[in-house]
Amino acid sequence: MRYAVRALGWATKILWILIVVFAATAVHSALNVRMGFGQPQIFFSNKSMVISVPLFVNNTGLYDLSELNMTVTVMDYNGSLVSTSTTFVPSIPRGSYIESAHNVSMSLDDITSKLVNYLFNDTVFNLDMSLKLNFAHAIPFQASMNETVPWGAPLYNFSIGQFSYDSYNLTHERVIIPLSFENHSPFFGIDGTMRVELYNSNEELLGSSVSDLNVPSHSKYDGQVEMIVDISKITGSGEVRFYFETSTFSFGPVVMPYG
Amino acid sequence: MVEKRNTKAFVEKIVPRVFKAALLVTLVYLPVYFLSALVHPLESFFPWYEPLTNIFTIVFTILLVVGVFVSGTIYQYVLGVARTLVLMLFFIYVLNGGIIALAMPIEGATVSIVIDLRVILAMLVLVCLLGIGKNVVHAIDFVSAKVETEEL
Repeated sequence: MRYAVRALGWATKILWILIVVFAATAVHSALNVRMGFGQPQIFFSNKSMVISVPLFVNNTGLYDLSELNMTVTVMDYNGSLVSTSTTFVPSIPRGSYIESAHNVSMSLDDITSKLVNYLFNDTVFNLDMSLKLNFAHAIPFQASMNETVPWGAPLYNFSIGQFSYDSYNLTHERVIIPLSFENHSPFFGIDGTMRVELYNSNEELLGSSVSDLNVPSHSKYDGQVEMIVDISKITGSGEVRFYFETSTFSFGPVVMPYG
Repeated sequence: MVEKRNTKAFVEKIVPRVFKAALLVTLVYLPVYFLSALVHPLESFFPWYEPLTNIFTIVFTILLVVGVFVSGTIYQYVLGVARTLVLMLFFIYVLNGGIIALAMPIEGATVSIVIDLRVILAMLVLVCLLGIGKNVVHAIDFVSAKVETEEL
């Protein structure tokens, strides 16, 4: 019995020492791990909007970090999923430094075709960022944060004014369509072409024209489109269709009735 | 004369225990004090820590002191078991069952942090259970030794 008591006593003491040493070194190591997210950057490449979240981990502690899993989910103002992406780093050994950019890519064609609202109305995107890792192969750790990224509509307040007609010849007239919008996007300018097609109430094409667009970020566009139309086809009402082909997105038609 | 000898024997018996109790209380208080000093800047994230630690320290100290004064009796081991149980409950409570969740404001954004300390808690509980087992075995050994002495 004495030996059993003595053995239990020693086992308890040794385990206490191990736990205290592990706890002390784990706290020390955790305090020596520097980890963070940088400011999200947004840029455009190949007709995709890329939200890049810089991530750095400097593990100067005594224990390895493993199974680092970073997930970024982008949702629009009403909680609909726009994009999700994951970065996985299997191991960050002690004494190492990793720096990486977690990229969330969204096709602008997708955005513009599915969510036309973003072209014409300002809104916000919700970014849910979460980071999971295993500390010392024993302590799972998770950090998550939520951030909002403002989205400025590139064609905010897109509108056409009152048409004016000039006589061109006996059978045709020159139609002038005033057009205005504001590029509220803080991320990109609109640089490309706009094709305008004018239809009468019988859905017959009256005329079309192509204009160059160069509207920098946070600026207003006030212009007009001219086209020559057949007088006999003019009905006084109909619709105007706009097609945009820019360096960042392609979209159309935007249909606006007139008359 | 006999009374004087009894008093002397009592003093000789009690004084070392007082010193031992004082030493043990100091040894218990020091890590608690340093841990509290370490946690103090983060008090807003662990609001449950300080009041709980104070209660735990008081209960643990009382059990420790009484245990020293009743050493040499079966109560020493009963109090040892009680002390280890208190310690185990303290760990379970202070580690929030092994899952610690915090919300830290960093540069205007709130970062939610979840730390899973269930492995550490399991180790602590295991050591506490081992301590309880040790006290029980010790108590059995003590009783059997006493019975043997009485039989002789």
